[in-house]
Amino acid sequence: MKNTGQLLKEKLLLSFEDIQAEVSDEHRLTVNCRKDTVITVLSFLNNSGYDHLALISCVDWIKDNVLELVYILTAYAEDKGKAKMNILVKTRITREKPGLHTVIPVFENAEPYERELHELYGIHFMGHPRLTPLFLEREYKIPPFRKDFDTRKYVQEVFDQIPFVEDKKAEK
Amino acid sequence: MDRNNLGKWLKSPGKMGQKYSLHALYFCTGCGIIEIPPSITTRWDAERFGVIPVATPRQANLFLITGYVSVKTLRYIIRSYEQMPEPKFTVGFGSCPINGGMYWDSYNTIKHLDKYIPVDGWIAGCMPRPEAVFVAVTHLWTLIDKGMADGYNKYRANYQYYRENQEKILGKLEWPPLFSKNIKHEEYRTIA
Repeated sequence: MKNTGQLLKEKLLLSFEDIQAEVSDEHRLTVNCRKDTVITVLSFLNNSGYDHLALISCVDWIKDNVLELVYILTAYAEDKGKAKMNILVKTRITREKPGLHTVIPVFENAEPYERELHELYGIHFMGHPRLTPLFLEREYKIPPFRKDFDTRKYVQEVFDQIPFVEDKKAEK
Repeated sequence: MDRNNLGKWLKSPGKMGQKYSLHALYFCTGCGIIEIPPSITTRWDAERFGVIPVATPRQANLFLITGYVSVKTLRYIIRSYEQMPEPKFTVGFGSCPINGGMYWDSYNTIKHLDKYIPVDGWIAGCMPRPEAVFVAVTHLWTLIDKGMADGYNKYRANYQYYRENQEKILGKLEWPPLFSKNIKHEEYRTIA
């Protein structure tokens, strides 16, 4: 008997052409798709009962020059097979001027996640109602969670340059 | 009342009053605040030492900076500190406000708190135990007795340097300067 993940994988492969799906674990299904099909895949999964977007995360693959977005879906249903499933929808976008469409029409709770990714990775989500700063107070030339952001150098340039008040007073 | 301290009470009642009624501002800056509820409740009962938490900076005279200070928190630390009535005492709690601690190379955490506001004492450790809070409080008593806990006077005297440092990190501050540059330190002393 096939488990829930494998059934869902077959369903997905029948419905979409250019996606790869892989059951890596009993309770884990990984779906790789292009950036313009993300929203349709997510709405398909939403309709099949995986109606909770737990997290949108991002991985910076600096050697491949791509950013990988991971949408993690789970189900609210009490159905035993579905309740344990984690579905990872992955998509890869370029590191230069990264942008893709927002998924707020499908999952409304994506809004703060997308704002966060906009702030920390510099990804532009088209159609997002307000991509305003969420956590950070200062502005950074390179978004701070990217791999090419040198934190040590940044600390030396910004925080270490501020003098102690006693030293400053002694100077004058 | 301790009879041995009677002389002190008669000599400088104000100082003794400050010593034994430290009102700590309940301001949660980081993980360190987790040590404060046990310190103020039955097990370690901070009220034995006259320390009691209060809700607003207008009522407080002891500011415990509990844990790491992010750039965003610094703005509100400065605002709260400036609202507190004098005399006021600041104590850095944990290793993060001292030199950054484990966030020493973080992009968004203040490394040395005493560059931005004056700090009277430090409690080292990650995390310090509630007992350490009381060691700090008793040490602060000694400092108050000797007149060495004068961070607020330092703040008045060097306000322009502190303000410059604050503006370097936070950009232009939206509130006006607390003290005017035209009045000198000595004059402040006489006013205070």
